[in-house]
Amino acid sequence: MTSKEVDALVKKGRSYAIRTRFKEAMAYYEKALSLDPANPEAWYLRAAVFVETGRNAEAIRDCERAIALNQNYSEAWSKKGHALYNLERFEDAVFACTRALGLNGNDASAWYIKGVCLDELGRNDEAQVAYGKSLELEIILDMEAEKRKAGR
Amino acid sequence: MKTEMPLSKPIRLFIRQTEEILDTDVSLLRNPEADPNGTLVDIYTYNVEKNIIVFPAHYMGLLKDFIIAKHCVRLLIKGAAAKKSRYLVCSFTGDSVYKGMHQIYIDALKDEAKKEKKLPVQKLIRMLNILYTNFNEDLNELPWNPITNASVYHRMPKIRKTQLYYLMKEGKKDMDEMMEFEDIIPRRYFVLNKAMFYARDLYLAKTLPADELMPVLNIPQMKKFNHLEVKEMLTTRWTHTSWYQSKVFGDNMLEIMEKYLQKIDWNGEPGLDYFHDLYQIGVNMTNHFTSYMSMKSWFVWETPKHLQEAREKKKEYEFEALKKIFGDLIDRSSFDEERGES
Repeated sequence: MTSKEVDALVKKGRSYAIRTRFKEAMAYYEKALSLDPANPEAWYLRAAVFVETGRNAEAIRDCERAIALNQNYSEAWSKKGHALYNLERFEDAVFACTRALGLNGNDASAWYIKGVCLDELGRNDEAQVAYGKSLELEIILDMEAEKRKAGR
Repeated sequence: MKTEMPLSKPIRLFIRQTEEILDTDVSLLRNPEADPNGTLVDIYTYNVEKNIIVFPAHYMGLLKDFIIAKHCVRLLIKGAAAKKSRYLVCSFTGDSVYKGMHQIYIDALKDEAKKEKKLPVQKLIRMLNILYTNFNEDLNELPWNPITNASVYHRMPKIRKTQLYYLMKEGKKDMDEMMEFEDIIPRRYFVLNKAMFYARDLYLAKTLPADELMPVLNIPQMKKFNHLEVKEMLTTRWTHTSWYQSKVFGDNMLEIMEKYLQKIDWNGEPGLDYFHDLYQIGVNMTNHFTSYMSMKSWFVWETPKHLQEAREKKKEYEFEALKKIFGDLIDRSSFDEERGES
């Protein structure tokens, strides 16, 4: 099995996950991981499915595997933040999101989760800053999406 | 509600409050193909078992929260109406379709008399259908929009900047509505359609204090609005464009809107009575609008089920109405052909 084939499995899983067909997505990610356990993207994407299906502890474990394989994997930090938020571990989630944002300051989702968690912790001023940044990025994404739609 | 989506605290609490007031469940669904305004699929309108708020997949933060807040208010209004009295919408019957289309036809003839280049009959027929449907859809949406927005503004201070972005976006989209038909639809209807949106924008601009809705200045695309207040943004947009002629009608409609909405205590105790009052105000305001636009006989207040069935029968209603208006000029096969169904 070549890395190209593993990539194809990951891609296929992703296409199912986008359509919220998580069971099928999971099967592809697991196949990819059985063939290449050193593939951080497959760990991260499986974590994303775990988050969507409420298996947050397993999501955190997968994110940590992805991060162990790639210390600069901002999406994995961000997803870990999301799973921690779901488990109401707000302090830990803020830490994970801050790590994610240190690697990629344009991650709207990480800014938002950070804002939500800071809000839950009663750190309102910091929350407002994070929300503001998240909104800025989200609006830019939305404008781009509108443009794409108009160009279709 | 059970969701793995991150939600800001005020939204989470508002969803819970909505569920408690209505004794129902609210589900959230992310969909890449969802309408940018989100969609509310609710048990009071559709034959479904649970309420679902659908929003575009790329809305992951406050944009999603705003959509949810907006639809929760709509759900509360619908649910309160259903529980305290009856939830009714602007529907239509064969007779009301005829009355609407006939009136548009008469007005179109008056316009056509002044034109050098006459509108082909097929285009005229198509315009009657489009215009009638358009007003039905707008009257089912537009009067609720200022109620929903003002309500969200007062109950959710943390998402006001998001709300600003939405108002700008929504206002622009509504200004562009029917543009492609500008040359073929009677001036009166074009102006009335624009006037409704003008009134909504102006009402929101007056109601939502500008200082708190200052644009997010770091966004490059929003920079052009620097130092402008929301009111200025919305009024400048309307008064510096060709829609200026909608102003007279728009100002009258704004007066109507204010007459009803000034009765609302936006910070009132949320409960079934409160949201039922909002429903009643929305219905009365809609009635005043239809009356002002001389469209009272065009629509009927009926159940959502009636409207769904009417939509299914709409083609038949239109055919019958056209038969009455044009007599033998209309035959089944050309009608079906025009609709692309032959």
